[in-house]
Amino acid sequence: MLLEADDLNVRYGRNHAVRHVSLSVDEGEIVTVLGANGAGKSSLLKALQGTAGATADALRFRGQDISSRSAQKRVRSGLVMVPEGRQIFVSLTVHDNLLMGAYCRRDSDVAKDIEGVYERFPNLAQRRTMPASVLSGGEQQMLAISRALLARPVLMMLDEPSLGLSPILVNQLFELIVALNRDGLSILLVEQNTHKALQTASRGYVLELGRVVAEGTPDQLRAGEKLEAAYLGAG
Amino acid sequence: MLILQQLISGLMIGGIYVMVAVAFTLTIGMLNFLNFTIPALFMLSGMVAWGLTTVGVHWALALLGGVATATFASLIVERFTYRYMRVRYGDATEHALPLVSSLGFLIIFEHLVLVILGSDPQRFPTPFTSADFHLGKLIIGIPQLVSLVLALAIVWGLSIMLKRTRVGRALRSIAENPDAATLMGVSVNYIVPIVFVITGLMAGIAGMLFTLNYADINAYMGDNVAAKAIAGMVIGGLGNIWGAIAGGLIVGLTEVMAIHFFGADIVKIPIWGLLLLILLVRPSGLFGHTAIGKGKF
Repeated sequence: MLLEADDLNVRYGRNHAVRHVSLSVDEGEIVTVLGANGAGKSSLLKALQGTAGATADALRFRGQDISSRSAQKRVRSGLVMVPEGRQIFVSLTVHDNLLMGAYCRRDSDVAKDIEGVYERFPNLAQRRTMPASVLSGGEQQMLAISRALLARPVLMMLDEPSLGLSPILVNQLFELIVALNRDGLSILLVEQNTHKALQTASRGYVLELGRVVAEGTPDQLRAGEKLEAAYLGAG
Repeated sequence: MLILQQLISGLMIGGIYVMVAVAFTLTIGMLNFLNFTIPALFMLSGMVAWGLTTVGVHWALALLGGVATATFASLIVERFTYRYMRVRYGDATEHALPLVSSLGFLIIFEHLVLVILGSDPQRFPTPFTSADFHLGKLIIGIPQLVSLVLALAIVWGLSIMLKRTRVGRALRSIAENPDAATLMGVSVNYIVPIVFVITGLMAGIAGMLFTLNYADINAYMGDNVAAKAIAGMVIGGLGNIWGAIAGGLIVGLTEVMAIHFFGADIVKIPIWGLLLLILLVRPSGLFGHTAIGKGKF
């Protein structure tokens, strides 16, 4: 297993946001986490990344215990997140945003990798010297994903990447996710767009009030009642 | 001709305000925190240097010792204001407490100096008492000129550092969005002290140049300079380095012109009047373009 969490809990004061979650992502997989607003999906990702305090019986990434590692060290070891709302640096240029993505890298391939991003996204190339605030929503999402890619992730975690995008852009986004996965990137995808997420993923978990209430293949999840109930129940 | 002479003096004292204003503006732009310890850092640099000369240290070494003390003091402030709040409450910028603690440090540092070095105004044994050159009828003090050039060069170097280096990008990304910066692998606890080191160096070097050029120093020497630097920063626009440069020089010029035309007693009225006027006409300052605390560099 690439990523393995066993009995993971996140508490904010008296709010027990993530309860006894056990979850795994295998190499080469796209795994999705579904659930209504407030189900604990974002808290789960933050706990895995190390930016939210969590307790767990076990938290392993690439075979190593990472429970006491800082977020920075987790980034360095290849666990990289694209946060909800993209959170690109709007006051920095597009190019500086990409350089920030490569912040932890010391190798000499950064410039080459950035050129690779520009080839993939000509829109970003055209605006490389402009502040990222000039980008459209879709371009900002491309920048956010590209920025994460420059950290050379082994596992990329995406938090609601389709939020606020038009249907055409959502399709492009999921095509990109599939393409990246084919190139060998493992993906943990938190989504509200259940339909698209289940189309893309090989496995999924359904979260309700912080607990995993269902898990399995997309077919199993679609067939079960938990998925619908999770959205109706908490929504 | 006399006016031109005054202009030159104004620019020279303005160079010192520029450095202190940049120290203020950097902490505001990066950390959303008005660091009231800056006047104490400025003063520590001068007074510690003077104290060292009284025990026989060479003046140049003494000045370096002063700057080092200011930088070290700035790191102490970081540890017990900003970092303490962040570790304890998960956030430092939303609270007014770092500001109040920094005010506490200002008073403690000033009174430590009072207790150890005494309350009398002192004269630093500056080696350059009459190193002037004459340009026509104008008298230009070489140390002052060097100071102005040095101050502007340091600020210029700082802005290049922020713009082009890896650390500079990390600082700007923290200024805009610390959470996202963390996701890039930036360690906030490692990068934020750099802001305080820069603050200590800027205030310390400004104190050193002031001590070297004007020689008259005391435990409260920082307050007056810092008040004018804050005025300069606000006139230029909060959080904007170029605004701090322009504002600092404008305050220096306003000061000497006011003294020239109206006398020394009145000097604070035009400076703060100008500040209030600019806030009425253009609340973001001359070069500020957004609200406080968001991406200025």
